[in-house]
Amino acid sequence: MKTDQPALLNAESSQGLSTVTAARHPRFKETGLLGVVLALGLLLSLFCGTLEVPNRDTGGIVTVNKFLRADNLGNLAKNTSFFAIMAVGATFVIITGGIDLSVGSMYCLAAVCGAMFLNHFGPRGPGAGASPFWVVPGAIAICLGTGTLCGLLNGLGVVFLRVHPFVITLGTMAIYRGVAFVMTKAQAYTHFPAQFTDGLIRYEINWQGANLYPVPLAIMLGVTALAGWYLKHAVTGRHIFAVGGNEQASLFSGLPVNRVKVKVYAFSGLAAGVAAMIMLGYYGSASSDAGKGYELDVIAAAVVGGASLVGGRGTALGALLGALIIQMINNGIIILNIDQNYSQIIIGAVIVLAVLLDRINDTLREKRMARSALAAKESRQEGASQIEQSRPTP
Amino acid sequence: MGENGAGKSTLGKILAGIHRPDEGRVEIKGVARHFRSPREAQRAGVAIVHQELSFCPNLSVAENVCLSDLPRRFGRVDWRRLEERAQSHLDAIGADCDVREELGRLSPGRMQMVQVAAALATGADIFVLDEPTSSLSASEARRLEELIGTLRKRGATIIYVSHRMDEIFRFCDTVTVMRDSQHVATMPLAQTNEGDLVRLMIGRTWQKLFPEHVERAPGPECLRVEELSSPGKFRSISFSLRAGEVVGMAGLVGAGRSEVALGIFGLDARMTGGVFVAGRKAAVRCPRDAMALGIGLVSEDRKKQGLVLGMECGSNITLSSLDRLSRHGVIRLAKERSVIADFFQKLQVKAASPQVSAQTLSGGNQQKLVLAKWLARQCRILILDEPTRGVDVGAKAEIHRLIDELAAAGLAVLMISSELPEVLNLSTRVIVMRNGRIAGRLDRAEATQERVMQLMAGQNVPSLQAIPENVLVA
Repeated sequence: MKTDQPALLNAESSQGLSTVTAARHPRFKETGLLGVVLALGLLLSLFCGTLEVPNRDTGGIVTVNKFLRADNLGNLAKNTSFFAIMAVGATFVIITGGIDLSVGSMYCLAAVCGAMFLNHFGPRGPGAGASPFWVVPGAIAICLGTGTLCGLLNGLGVVFLRVHPFVITLGTMAIYRGVAFVMTKAQAYTHFPAQFTDGLIRYEINWQGANLYPVPLAIMLGVTALAGWYLKHAVTGRHIFAVGGNEQASLFSGLPVNRVKVKVYAFSGLAAGVAAMIMLGYYGSASSDAGKGYELDVIAAAVVGGASLVGGRGTALGALLGALIIQMINNGIIILNIDQNYSQIIIGAVIVLAVLLDRINDTLREKRMARSALAAKESRQEGASQIEQSRPTP
Repeated sequence: MGENGAGKSTLGKILAGIHRPDEGRVEIKGVARHFRSPREAQRAGVAIVHQELSFCPNLSVAENVCLSDLPRRFGRVDWRRLEERAQSHLDAIGADCDVREELGRLSPGRMQMVQVAAALATGADIFVLDEPTSSLSASEARRLEELIGTLRKRGATIIYVSHRMDEIFRFCDTVTVMRDSQHVATMPLAQTNEGDLVRLMIGRTWQKLFPEHVERAPGPECLRVEELSSPGKFRSISFSLRAGEVVGMAGLVGAGRSEVALGIFGLDARMTGGVFVAGRKAAVRCPRDAMALGIGLVSEDRKKQGLVLGMECGSNITLSSLDRLSRHGVIRLAKERSVIADFFQKLQVKAASPQVSAQTLSGGNQQKLVLAKWLARQCRILILDEPTRGVDVGAKAEIHRLIDELAAAGLAVLMISSELPEVLNLSTRVIVMRNGRIAGRLDRAEATQERVMQLMAGQNVPSLQAIPENVLVA
C-alpha cells in the first residue's frame, strides 16, 4: 500500500490487532513422532535383554543392554543416516505433490560413478598415488554431481514432458540402474584410497570400548537441519509448500511453479548422492545392485514422518524421525531374535498405522481449528455491530 | 428465467433428485414424490439435461445413452442390443452420430444431443433442460430447437431453464421468473413481453450509492487492450482503464468475462490482440509477466485459484510478494510478520491468528486474504472477478468499501460481477459483454438495471443494432 491511503484503511485497527496477537501458538509438528521414537526406544531397551561382552580395556566381562549398547546405537545411527538423508530429499518432492521412485537407482548410479573414480585412484588402480587433496573432493563432487544430474533430469522430464512424476521416475528408476549396470559390467568396485574411507567417512572414535563412526551421523544431522531451515526460511521453501498445497493458485499467484518442481527433484537426486557418498566411504565398495528397493523404504520414511502424498505437508525433521522409526523396528527385530521373515510384515503394518494415526491427529486438529474459527466468528459478530454503531455506511 | 444465482439450476436439480429439498414437495401427475436419488427420479419419469455436460467422455456414445440401464446377458453387457437400443433413441431425435464413437470426440452440440437421447432412454416424459444452448453454436441450437418441437409433439413436458430472452419466447408457453432463490411470477408468455420479464427478473429497487472514487477525476490511462480475441472464447475486446477508475464488467455466465480477465493475466496462450500498460505494448505470456507489469487478478474461484487452503493465512498474503520480503532468497520473517499484521489490521481479517490455515476462514475473510495478497504486491491494476461471490453481507459491504478506497487511492480496477447492484454502485463505467463480445458500454449516469440487463440478455436496444446480428452469433 502506498502512503496516500485514505482514512478508511487506517481506521478501526485496534480490533484487528487484538485478534492477531491472540492465540499465537506455533505448534511443533513432530511431537508425536518423537514420542513414538522414545516409546520404541524404551520398549527395546526393556525387552531386548542383555549381552555379555569383554571389556577391551580391562579384559573383564561386562553385562550390557543389547539395545543401548554403544555398538548397537552406532550401527542404528549409521543405518538411519542413508535413509534419513534420502527421505529428506523425498520429502521435498512429496511436499510439492510429486513422487520420486528413482532414489534407489540414483543412489546406485552415484555410488557406482564414485566407486569407479575412487577405484581408479585407489591403491590398486592405474591412478594410484594421486594426491588425496583432489581425489577426495573429486569423489565427493562426482557422487553429489551424478545424483543432482539424475534428479535434474527427473525434474525436467516432469515439467517439460508433462508426464506424471510416478511414470517419469518409474522409467528413470530402471534407466539409471541400467546405466549403472552397463558401466560396471556387473562388477563390484573396491579398493578405494584410505583417505576417503577411513580418513573421512569411516573416521573412527573409541568411546567406552566401542568403535563409533560419527561422520555419517553428523552429515545426516547437517542435511536435516539445513533442509529444515530451507523449508522454513527460504523463498523457494515457501514456494514448495504452495505448489504442493495448490498448484493452480500458485500459478495464479505468479510463482515459478516449474522451477520449483525441477529444484525439488534435483534436490532429491542430490540427497541420494550424499547417501551414496556415505555408503561408499563406509563400506568401501559399490556395485550396480546397491540401493535396490530403497525407494520404498525412503518413501515410507517420509510418509511415516508426516509428509502427505497429496502434497503441501511434510518436514525435514519428520523425515529423519520416520527413517529412525523404521530402522529402530528393523534393529529391534534383529536384537529381539524375531524371525527376519517377519520384518517386512511388521514394517508394512507400521507404515499404515503411522499414516492412520497422523490422520486421526489431523481430524482432531481440524476440530480444534473449527472451534477457534467459531470463536472468531462470534467475536466478529460483536465487532461488526460495533462498526455499525461507530460509522454509518457511505 | 432468472438472473445468475437466482436458483434455477438448483431447482432443476431438486426435480431430478440430485439435491434433496429441505421442505416442500414435488408432485408428479398429482402424486407427491420424494426423490432420494437421481435413480428414483428417473423411475418417476423425470430426466435432466445438465448445463455442464455431465457424462463419461471416455465411453462410447451407445454406452452413455444407455448408461443407467445397460442391457445385460448372463451378467455381461450385451453389446449388440446396446448399440441397437442407443441407435433407436438417437434416431428418434434425429441425431446422426456413430454409436461406437467415443463421446469425448464429439462436438458439444452432438454431446448435448446424446444427453437428450440418454434422457429419452430413461423413458422420461418430463425433461429439465438446464441452459442447454449455453455451449452450442447457432446451427446446433437450431437443431435443439427442432428436437424440442419433436418432444412436444410426443407429449413430453419440458422445463426449459434459460436466461436468454429470444429462446424463451420461441420455445415456451408458460414462463416462471425466479429471483434471489424465490418464485416471483408465473404467467403465460402470450400475456407478457420482454420488458416486463426484465423488470421481474431484476425486481429490487435499490438506492444508488456514491462511492468516494467516483467524485475524483480519473488519472492517466493504466491499461488498454485492443482487439483481444481468443478462439471460442471472446472476440474484438477493446477497452481502457484509467487510474482511479472502477470499470464494471457485466454479463451472463459464459459471456466470456472471466476468460478476458485470464487472457489479460497471461493465462490464455491462444489470445491475440494488444495489451498496453501505461501506454506501452506489453507481452504477457504468463502471470509472472502480468505481475511484473503491476497487474493483479483476484480470480473467480478463490478456493482453486486464489488460495493455498492448507497454508497459513499469513503465508497466503505474502505468497506473491516474497521476493520483496527476502534477501538473497531468504525470507525476512520479522518483516513478513509485520506486513501480515498490517494487512490483517487494514482489511479487518477475522482469524484466530495468522498461523491458522486459510481453509478455516469464512468466505469473506478468505476473499480478503486474496485481496491482501495483491495489495501486498502493490499492484497498480487490479482485476477482480466476482469479488463478493459466496461472501456474507457484512464482509461484502467491507469489500465494497475497500474497492472504493483502492480506486480512490489511484488503483485502476476492472471488476467483473454478476450482481447488478454491485456493478452499478461501484463502477465509474460499465462494460457489458454477451457471447464473447462487448455488447455495450455505459457511463455511470446511463447505467440502470434495465439497460444493463437488456444488453446482457441480448434484447435489441437501439445502441446494439449497429452491430449486425450474424457477427454477434459468430
